[in-house]
Amino acid sequence: MIEVQELTKIFRKPVRGKGLIGMIATLFSRKYTEIRAVDGVSFNIPKGEIVGYIGSNGAGKSTTIKMMCGILTPTSGKVLIDGKEPYLKRRIVAKDIGVVFGQKTQLWWDIPLVESFKVLKEVYQVSDSDYEARIKFLSSVLGIDEFMSQPVRTLSLGQRMRADLAASMLHNPKILFLDEPTIGMDVLVKDKIRTAIHALNAKYHTTVVLTTHDMADIENLCSRLIMIEKGKIIYDGPLGDIKRRFGNIKTLTLTIPPNIDPNEVEPFSDDIIMSVDEDKVILGFDADKVNLEHVVQYAFSKYHAIDMKIADISIEDVVKKILSQQEEEHAKAKKI
Amino acid sequence: MRRLRKYKPFVRASAIDMMAYRFNIITWAIVTVFEVACLIFLWLAVYQSSEGGIDSSINGFTYKEMIVYVVLTTIFGFITFNDDTLWFINRDIRQGTIGNFLIKPISYRGKFIASNIGAFLMMSIVFGIPLYAAGLGVLIGIGYLPVASVWDFIAHFALFLVASVLACLLNGVISYIFGILCFYTSAAWGLNALKTTVISFLSGTLLPIAFFPNVFREIVTYMPFAGMSQNPVLILMMKYDYLECCKVILISLAWLVLLELFAKLLFSRAIKVVTVQGG
Repeated sequence: MIEVQELTKIFRKPVRGKGLIGMIATLFSRKYTEIRAVDGVSFNIPKGEIVGYIGSNGAGKSTTIKMMCGILTPTSGKVLIDGKEPYLKRRIVAKDIGVVFGQKTQLWWDIPLVESFKVLKEVYQVSDSDYEARIKFLSSVLGIDEFMSQPVRTLSLGQRMRADLAASMLHNPKILFLDEPTIGMDVLVKDKIRTAIHALNAKYHTTVVLTTHDMADIENLCSRLIMIEKGKIIYDGPLGDIKRRFGNIKTLTLTIPPNIDPNEVEPFSDDIIMSVDEDKVILGFDADKVNLEHVVQYAFSKYHAIDMKIADISIEDVVKKILSQQEEEHAKAKKI
Repeated sequence: MRRLRKYKPFVRASAIDMMAYRFNIITWAIVTVFEVACLIFLWLAVYQSSEGGIDSSINGFTYKEMIVYVVLTTIFGFITFNDDTLWFINRDIRQGTIGNFLIKPISYRGKFIASNIGAFLMMSIVFGIPLYAAGLGVLIGIGYLPVASVWDFIAHFALFLVASVLACLLNGVISYIFGILCFYTSAAWGLNALKTTVISFLSGTLLPIAFFPNVFREIVTYMPFAGMSQNPVLILMMKYDYLECCKVILISLAWLVLLELFAKLLFSRAIKVVTVQGG
């Protein structure tokens, strides 16, 4: 369905001089710095799979997505969507893909949502009966009918996101690209969007590629992860593998009273890693090995914690861990 | 035909947009009336101070014809040249919204042609019909535009409509070409000023091409700009016989095809340098 081969995108940015003199100098000579946003990326995605494409900010996720949907032309390498290169056969490939960018809407700002849908219906040449059926289905999973007649600019972020998702599905694309679909949403809306993505995937066997910063999105949706850092793939495999490698790592952040010195508190066991950040104590542990209840009790009894927060490991942490593991492996390989 | 249907919403949207700006249009119309008055007095002074006086003919134009030319050119420009293609392209590039079009199964150029047609239709219906009716009515009524045969006038009017559509499309494609240059530079304002100046000078909007010096006149006559203002107006004034009408229409048509091909080539090159903000 999707084949990506040695995909590379290099952006050239002019180097601007400092101050007024520098600005005038750049009028006459231009130097460029090259940024390898995506660097020799290859993978295949079969039909019907939901893949999480993740990495930290600026890792090259969006650039890859933009090449996959034909907005950007690769510097080298290629993308094949059903055997066609999207940036060369834009209009043909466009019928098979739906795209949602979490940061930008594709809907017409000033007109009622339903009118935007009607424009899309004509643009994609959706028949009346298909249109009716899909709107009915999309309304049921996304709950968009309550604001169908409102202009898009009056919608809340969560409503707009649901509307955008519905808009991208009107022509029943084979592939759906979602670039940070849950960014800035509250928990309830996130949940609704995840349920909808599942429902779409189940009903139409839509292949979904999504980028996200939310670990929960990935756990709820993706069977497979592709991780990218500095333009290169650092991990490609099932979600379960990552979990097995890093365990079910959680962090417990405690606010402690000033009279307690965290370095004097007796350690729980070797399974908990403690670090101190001003008046905060951060305990990192593997929830599959250590009982959460025991950790919480320990935190209150020994640290007299005033406040606490439990969080899952973040994507940035996972990336850091993978990178450090790879470095260790490299170092080992060199020694041998 | 079915393939063209998907552009219908863009025709409709730009027609609606045009009406959203009706207040701007009306203010602009008032300013234009003063401009026309100035031009009439200017030409009056020119003809009065010429050797043969007010009845002389300068470069093939009598004073009366010149007034008709000024009035009709102004109405023509008002109805035909109102596209924001360049600004839209510039905005799409700066804000990255061009991506929204690139992921849809429509042609970027096609969308602008549809918008141009929508705006042109709306302007023609709402302002064109009353303005041409009033303008032509007065000019014919006071004897400035003599009509020998009604059928002759109707035939010329029909040819004028064809030439108008071509002028609108030519203007659109030239705007589009200048707009595509925004991919390479952020000087949209300068590009627009350049485009406006070139068009108003070389299309005969400022003064008829017959007033240009010899060689230059010959070149400009065969450039696409002549078909964008002067030629349609001269067709309407019945200054051209049918053969000449057909000739200028065919020249415009040929330029339109040529410029569209050039625009297509330019776009396919420019699109490779797109860097969408926030990648």
